[in-house]
Amino acid sequence: MAHLLKDKEAYERLNYLYQAAHCVLSQNPENVELARFYCFTQRTVARRLVLKQDPSVKRTLCKKCSSLLIPGVTATTRQRRKNSKIRFTVMRCLSCGQSKTLLNNPDYCLWVDRPEAQLEQQKQPGDKPQINTTQQLLSRCVV
Amino acid sequence: MDEALVRARIPQDLVKVLGVESQSSSKAEAFTQAFLKNSIQQHARHDLKSMLSHKAVVLGYSRPKKDKTRRNSKKAKGLNARQKRAMKIFQIKPEHQRYELFLPLHELWRQYIIDLCNGLKPTCSPQSVQQKLLKADFHGAIITVLRSKCPSYVGTTGILVQEFKHVFKIITKEDRLKVIPKRNSVFTVEINGFISHIYGSKFEQRAGERSAKRFKVRGTLDL
Repeated sequence: MAHLLKDKEAYERLNYLYQAAHCVLSQNPENVELARFYCFTQRTVARRLVLKQDPSVKRTLCKKCSSLLIPGVTATTRQRRKNSKIRFTVMRCLSCGQSKTLLNNPDYCLWVDRPEAQLEQQKQPGDKPQINTTQQLLSRCVV
Repeated sequence: MDEALVRARIPQDLVKVLGVESQSSSKAEAFTQAFLKNSIQQHARHDLKSMLSHKAVVLGYSRPKKDKTRRNSKKAKGLNARQKRAMKIFQIKPEHQRYELFLPLHELWRQYIIDLCNGLKPTCSPQSVQQKLLKADFHGAIITVLRSKCPSYVGTTGILVQEFKHVFKIITKEDRLKVIPKRNSVFTVEINGFISHIYGSKFEQRAGERSAKRFKVRGTLDL
């Protein structure tokens, strides 16, 4: 399948903005606004060009104020439990107070990782590189 | 003291297991300060250090009051313009922030642009590079004002920190934040030997919108 060229550049731009937000935050952990600005730009670009992003990237962005969520620095993470043994993780953005609930199911397989999704399209250039760099950058940011 | 224990680095064998690495002590210090500032509630009034050294600090009550706003409105998406104004833009941190802190960002930008054009000056034609630059992102680039209708702007150089609809925000070497309007100015960007001029009047779009917009050749390229 042919990669659409203008999308590839757009994905590179998204990727760059995400990494830039991490870089700025790692240099100065009190400057949340600039990271928020970069993530807002990233979301605008993705929204205008209707680009799909990987869930692992979307989970670290706040939906309301679009700041970068890093547990410990910009967001608090807590474990909660409903009575019937369903546990979930709640991440709360410190700046706007919006909380994000994620279910703790270790057997859950994302759509992107399933073999059916892989068969329809080959690797999108934007998504996979983002995963790798996310891990590297997160490891750099943690004290 | 016990503080030294908290700040000690993680031993090497744990690094691989956990997948995280310790940072240098100055950065760790900065992160700790930021974290403390976020957690402690009354930081505005007292100095942090004095608070911590004197007595026990209340980090939070055991049962915080739940939000009384309508529990039913699950969808709290979006923001009003008021909230945007309250938060988003730069505060007066640049006095806090120095030029050196943005140099890694510039390095990142340089690598990004080299990847985007996948080549240097001899290989690609300037045309294709220009096309890519139109849609590219300039946050973190070192930008200089070449010509401008207002002569006091000419010669200003710095790293682009934010791009808004009609202005660029630049931080100069003297750690000053300068706001430069795009209209009636010519900027120049240099990428390891490849110099490109940008006519600011044609670039009056929000940073995100520019990658979605197609540019037409319209009008003369004058100031």
